[in-house]
Amino acid sequence: MQIWLNYLDQILIYAAFAISLNLLLGYAGQVSVAHAAFGAIGGYTMGYLMMTRGWNFLPTALIGMVLAFIAGTIVALPALKLSVEYLILLTLAISSVIIGVFTTFPELGGTYGLIGINTPDIFGWTLGHPSDWVIPSLIMMLVTYGLCRRMGESAFGRVLKGIREDDRVTQALGKNVFAYKVGVFGITAGLAGLAGAFYSGWLQLATPSVYGFSFALTLFAIVIFGGMANLTGSIVGAAAVVLLEPLLRRVIKIDPATAALLQLVIYGLALVVLMMLRPQGVFPEGFSLWRLIRGKRAPTTRVEMTDSWVPTPTVQVHQIELDEIDDAERSRERRREEVWQNAPVVLEARGISKRFGGIVAADDLDIDFRKGTITALVGPNGAGKTTVFNLLTGFIRPDRGSVKMHGVELVGLSPDKVARLGLVRSFQDVRLVNRVSCVQNVMMAVQGQSGENLGKLMLGGSSARRGEKATREKAMNWLGFVGMADFADVPAGAVSYGQSKLISLARALATEAEVLLLDEPASGIDTRWVDTMLDLVEAVREQGRTVCIVEHNLHVVGRLADHTYFMELGRITAQGTIDELTHREELAEAYFGTV
Amino acid sequence: MLFAVFNAETVAQLTANGIFRGAAYGILGVGFALILGVTGRFHFAYAFTYTLAAYMVFTFKERWAVPFWIAAVVGIVAVGFVGVGIERFIYRPLARRARETALLAIFVASLGIAIAGENIIRLLWSSSSQNLLGPQQEAYTLLKASFLNFDVWEAASSFGLVVILALLLRYTSLGRSIKATRANPELAQTIGIEANQIYLICFFIGTVLCGVAAFWYGLQFTIAPDMGQSPVIFAFVVAFLAGTASSPIRVFFVGIGVALIQQYASIWLSVRWTQTAVFVVLVIYLSWLSLRQTDPIAWAKAKLARI
Repeated sequence: MQIWLNYLDQILIYAAFAISLNLLLGYAGQVSVAHAAFGAIGGYTMGYLMMTRGWNFLPTALIGMVLAFIAGTIVALPALKLSVEYLILLTLAISSVIIGVFTTFPELGGTYGLIGINTPDIFGWTLGHPSDWVIPSLIMMLVTYGLCRRMGESAFGRVLKGIREDDRVTQALGKNVFAYKVGVFGITAGLAGLAGAFYSGWLQLATPSVYGFSFALTLFAIVIFGGMANLTGSIVGAAAVVLLEPLLRRVIKIDPATAALLQLVIYGLALVVLMMLRPQGVFPEGFSLWRLIRGKRAPTTRVEMTDSWVPTPTVQVHQIELDEIDDAERSRERRREEVWQNAPVVLEARGISKRFGGIVAADDLDIDFRKGTITALVGPNGAGKTTVFNLLTGFIRPDRGSVKMHGVELVGLSPDKVARLGLVRSFQDVRLVNRVSCVQNVMMAVQGQSGENLGKLMLGGSSARRGEKATREKAMNWLGFVGMADFADVPAGAVSYGQSKLISLARALATEAEVLLLDEPASGIDTRWVDTMLDLVEAVREQGRTVCIVEHNLHVVGRLADHTYFMELGRITAQGTIDELTHREELAEAYFGTV
Repeated sequence: MLFAVFNAETVAQLTANGIFRGAAYGILGVGFALILGVTGRFHFAYAFTYTLAAYMVFTFKERWAVPFWIAAVVGIVAVGFVGVGIERFIYRPLARRARETALLAIFVASLGIAIAGENIIRLLWSSSSQNLLGPQQEAYTLLKASFLNFDVWEAASSFGLVVILALLLRYTSLGRSIKATRANPELAQTIGIEANQIYLICFFIGTVLCGVAAFWYGLQFTIAPDMGQSPVIFAFVVAFLAGTASSPIRVFFVGIGVALIQQYASIWLSVRWTQTAVFVVLVIYLSWLSLRQTDPIAWAKAKLARI
């Protein structure tokens, strides 16, 4: 019996390690192989303090957790801007440094490590037998599970998933990607430290080989088996990995030495086979064991995506006949230009310049956006229109010049800060977060969610849940606004290109930003939908928001723009109504190549 | 002993050690950089092919009594085909299936191969270390540094192979195809370069190079199932420090540089700290990269595209 309880203890401790690793790997997409090393920090701290200072188990475990948290936070700082390959390498190096440092100190047992750590006791209860460890390990695992689940399945976790798939988009929606990454790295490292203290306490060992590379790989394997971004899966994965050994030894009766090797061969091959057959793991993201047990299936909200589907926005669509531009139309344009000239300036860019090596991407640009109007930026390919968006929103820092919104200087601010101040952009290539639902994509854009604040998430009781409900309502409104409410629970990766453009508009709108920069809102979508899209942009103008569009299609510009800037080779060479611009020969030549 | 004795003799010996060990790091780095740079696969199973090469040579020589040098060549070439097999039957189908998450999927599968491979070797050949016995070992002393004939052969053959690879990349049409694929596989495809073939060739060359390093290591020391773990990390370090799109010669000298840092560190630091010192250098370098806010691979590709 004791031997099976021993396996149970091991499952619980491994599961705790794997759950926090899963938050980092599965939710936030940060591939770290240093999790075992952070565990070692917890284990060694606990062992050292217990052996030399005679401290009690629980306080030493907590100190280990705090030290691992600090180490994790420090490691996260250089790790933030690295691509996946470099992050893997960095965490490999960090593991070697951490384990190397422990091996170097004779006080920590050198290469042998700390052996024979005193039997821990918690509040006078001596944990001498495997049966004593079940309840403390279970509590520790459940605390880890609870914390990670609360972080993963909330507004906070939604941002993590956004970072996993596209950190630029997440930043463009006003999320401080930097703080999230550091936070999640530090917290998961801290939780690994806690699990490490329990692991070492249970083994009564803290040695370099216990936390060596094969342990790191085992944890990785558990997360992959169980399924990324599925915490329950990690528990099942831990059980599968741990129970493989008794299965081989006791059931198939292989001698212990061979069984241990065979176990590793099976892990390894299973990882390869799993990647080939079921890369999402045994329990994929969003799969709930509970729902299955209670006989409920995942909510099916599939909408037939037939050719005849046309979005039905909740705005009044007033069709405008787009005839040849006649005199009446021309006077209408002039009226709009007048409106633009008299509207108050919201955003004012002056002398914006940027060079990449010898290439001038932006040369002394002066641009105004005015309240309640649509400004268009047109020009040939490579004129630098999208670069202007990048320069205004802080994705690229200009060499010179200033961007002021209501008098506040934006140059030098990070893109997320710019977005929070009310200047939000969309992307030409849409860039939805494909593995989450459409409504979640829009929810991500809602500002000031209490569930994104870790303090409120952990200590605020039900406020995060209420906030989540309100966020969903807002998001549903915006989805309804663009006519996509039926697709709320469909994964964003499953909708058509035109639909994804609508969702990306809803996402930009949901930020409630005062100024919206839309990068080719109507390009690449079905001609039947172009008018719907244009109606929506006009409706946004009617709400008093300030819009700037980058567009190739002069038809679209003619319908939407109140004022048009013409760009060539990084310079603004003309401005005025689109009609004025298209009647200037040199511009027509620059744009179309011929007259 | 934090401060060791500092004299000319020590420096000469450390320099010699650094160059010989660095040649191994260098050739490993060149092979890994070729694979990662061209195919984009984070080939962790490089550790397994390294170990397997030494065991193949050992098996041909000791168990099947093949003459030593023939065993060496056959064993190393055979392991090259193992590398090709991994790419063809595991990585390529995975990449096709996983698409945007291919890097992670391949890394995980590669870890799997590394774990399974090491333990299969343990099961087939036993966990204890073996001796790969070859020609007579001879010691020399030059400029107060002593070294073995194997050291010289190892450094010379490694450098020779790296030079051959550099010439191949520079002057042959195959080399130009490899470089074109490295810069942009899709574009290379449009001018009739079969990227899949190039990937296989890179896996063959990269795996043979790591086999050479493993062979010399096995000849000087012993071979063991976990012998690949530490060298492969150094291969990563060297490849990343040098840049995966760099010339093989440059990567090779970065390898020597890393080994020299490691050796010289022992003058000021206790020997136990030297390995940690190398990783600290790496962490500082990566932090610096991160602070520059640039993605070095994208940067290197952009630079290449301009040439």
